[in-house]
Amino acid sequence: MRSMISCSIAVLALTCYSLQGQDLDSLMNLNAFTEESDLQKMLNKNVSVSSQNLSTRETPGIISVVTAEEIQNSGARDMIDVLRLVPGFDVSQDLQFVMGLSLRGNWANEGKVLVLMDGQPFNELLYQSVAVGNRFPVDAIERIEIIRGPGSAQYGGSAEYGVINIITKAASSLTGVGVYGTAGLHKNATGRTNGGVMAAANGKEVSWDFSLYKGKGIVSDQLYQDVFLSADPVNLSKTTTADPMNINAGFRYHGLSIRGMYDRFKTSDPQSNVSFEMYALDVQYKIKLSDRFRLTPRIQYLNQIPWYYDYPETPETDFEVRAVRQLGQVDGEYDISRKVNLNFGALYFTDKSTDLSVDETLLSLNNVAIYAQALLKHRLANATVGFRFEKNNKYDGAFVPRIALTKKIENLHFKMLYSASFRSPSLQNVQLDTTGATPERSNVFEFELGYQFTPEMLLALNAFHISTRDVIIYGSEGEGDDFNEWYESYDKSGSKGFELVYSIRKKNWYSHLTYSFSQAIADNAVDKYAIPQTSKQYVGMSAHKVTWNTNFYLTPKLSFNPTFIAAGKRYAYGAIDENEELVVTTLDPYFLANVFFNYRDLLPGLTLGAGIYDILNERPGVPQAYNGGLGAYGAIPARSREYVVKLAYQIDFKK
Amino acid sequence: MKLKSGLLLVATLCAFTVKAQTTNYQVYSLYVVNIAKYSSWPAVNGEFNITVFGKSKVYDELLKQKGKNVNGHILNVKQVDNLNDIGQPEIIYLPDSKSSALDDLLKLTEGKSVMIISEREGLHKRGAGFSFIVMENGTLRCDMNSTELEKRQIKISKNLTALTNSSI
Repeated sequence: MRSMISCSIAVLALTCYSLQGQDLDSLMNLNAFTEESDLQKMLNKNVSVSSQNLSTRETPGIISVVTAEEIQNSGARDMIDVLRLVPGFDVSQDLQFVMGLSLRGNWANEGKVLVLMDGQPFNELLYQSVAVGNRFPVDAIERIEIIRGPGSAQYGGSAEYGVINIITKAASSLTGVGVYGTAGLHKNATGRTNGGVMAAANGKEVSWDFSLYKGKGIVSDQLYQDVFLSADPVNLSKTTTADPMNINAGFRYHGLSIRGMYDRFKTSDPQSNVSFEMYALDVQYKIKLSDRFRLTPRIQYLNQIPWYYDYPETPETDFEVRAVRQLGQVDGEYDISRKVNLNFGALYFTDKSTDLSVDETLLSLNNVAIYAQALLKHRLANATVGFRFEKNNKYDGAFVPRIALTKKIENLHFKMLYSASFRSPSLQNVQLDTTGATPERSNVFEFELGYQFTPEMLLALNAFHISTRDVIIYGSEGEGDDFNEWYESYDKSGSKGFELVYSIRKKNWYSHLTYSFSQAIADNAVDKYAIPQTSKQYVGMSAHKVTWNTNFYLTPKLSFNPTFIAAGKRYAYGAIDENEELVVTTLDPYFLANVFFNYRDLLPGLTLGAGIYDILNERPGVPQAYNGGLGAYGAIPARSREYVVKLAYQIDFKK
Repeated sequence: MKLKSGLLLVATLCAFTVKAQTTNYQVYSLYVVNIAKYSSWPAVNGEFNITVFGKSKVYDELLKQKGKNVNGHILNVKQVDNLNDIGQPEIIYLPDSKSSALDDLLKLTEGKSVMIISEREGLHKRGAGFSFIVMENGTLRCDMNSTELEKRQIKISKNLTALTNSSI
């Protein structure tokens, strides 16, 4: 409201001013730049994923921001739908039908992409993986800030290739109560029924929020035939689950903020049940020592039982290991001058794993880290220089420097980025290591050029080169009592490519067109990623992806949002030959067409949405992202055409 | 073929010549005129002269004020590219691209009642009477060098002084 008044004053001053009548004080409200378009308002908004709160176009990282408006209009069913529209992202399979992320042509599930929701990490501590699927409460999300590049210097050893920072409505903008629900229906099965409730009051001095999300779903409604033809095809709508649950509560009083979260995701393949369970408690206290100096001590406690799995056919639980993290951190921010900012800190944390089936401590890791980042805002460029050093009692330390130059000059912006990054060997990486656990390290070079042709239109092109050393790779063999798994370090992997984003936002419509291309580096040494057909792609990854997301406001209340995703051919270890040897098959390119209608304020605060996902019934499979050997999984046959209905109701508290 | 298509796309996009969010020189011009209005010079003979040194879009905006009345004098605006052509205006506007000429301008106008307003931030510390500064929220303000202005016998009204971001 205040900004609207200021804006009105400024416009009035500009349109009405005369030399004699000019009110001198009104000059102070005038903006040095021409009025922002809706697109510019989004682009110029500071992103919290940047420690120095720079705008999207100046943050030293390749950034995508997905807003609640875009999620609601597109009718996204889960994070897979959201992330598939982001350049470079796709989804692949790990084990047991658990799906994880791939990024820029690389399998990025374990320790490669850090996923945070309201500041709490979703990377489990045993392997650092993040299970996606029907898991995250997309309808409760205010904003998703995505760094499509390394984040280790700032975020540590789980952010080697990227960061996804999810901010919920309750924890940010909501002052009121909201409920929402989603139903997804296939021809012969119910795909999902998810719902949630949230309540929050965001005040200047005191804030609180509470949200609950629960759902029931399936992994797919298709038939699945296992790779080794050891069983008859099974109907996945009857044999799989994807049931999310999340409870999230926060409280803030002046500088003190407390957040507690419980998350459980139950999924399954035709033979086993898998679940991920997490409790998180985070307490921070922001101390303003002076106008220039802020200090934030923080303690965090994570208690997880990830990758719990059980084969119902066997009497005992097959894997039940608890992982606990206790973390203490002090983060400092010092504004040396208006143009120079310093962010620094230190943290200590212990990770401990306990085998619950025998109540035995498996491993304890003690970690210490220091980090610093300086930002110099110069008229020619913003320069960022930083580093992080992390040391552990079980393996070598990792030192990762970061250098970035960014600048927005009128319509043009550029970013020149170099960052070293790392993946910390996790509890199970160390426990099962066979080659001497050492941090995986990457050197990443990125360059972005963006140009705003009109206030409503932005074209941005970036190129990247990722070179990863000491790649931590999972291996397994056998099954049942003979099952054996391990980790080993491979010499090198990585990718290179480019991404193009074209965004246009008018009063009654907006559109985002993206293209991403990635290629495996020439000297990849990870044979589990390699395929005989080509050395330019890794197994499960597509080299090309085009996305097109357009929304039309047909009336102020009714919107129509088609989305299209086209991806090139992929390869998968999905069949056996006549000698029963695993062979790589080609998965055809796919084209996903989705459409969604939204009607806002059907009654005050009530929004009804309906649409169809995968109209053409393409059902692109989700292949395993590596050669799983004798434990290989075939591509998960993707869901068929899904009819989606969404209902949301929100009442705002009176101010 | 792909290259041609790419070039065609870029060329098509370049054909959009509408300005995106850019520097609002109308606001800079407004500031300059108000600084003139709320300052006083020992003597102004005839017209009140503002000279823009070098090419700048602010000149086009100032031209729109040409002929108006500033404290009883007709406002005249001109633009010069050469130091020798500057003469003795009441105000010299120094665009960002000409910032390196500040020292020469200071020498040229030493002892004269000429106010130098610089577009680039911080130049008031090097002798400009005023220099613009863009605040974190995007609003335009200015910093003042009152010592230099006093030396040049230019008086600034209290109202204008209160408007400045900082003063040395």
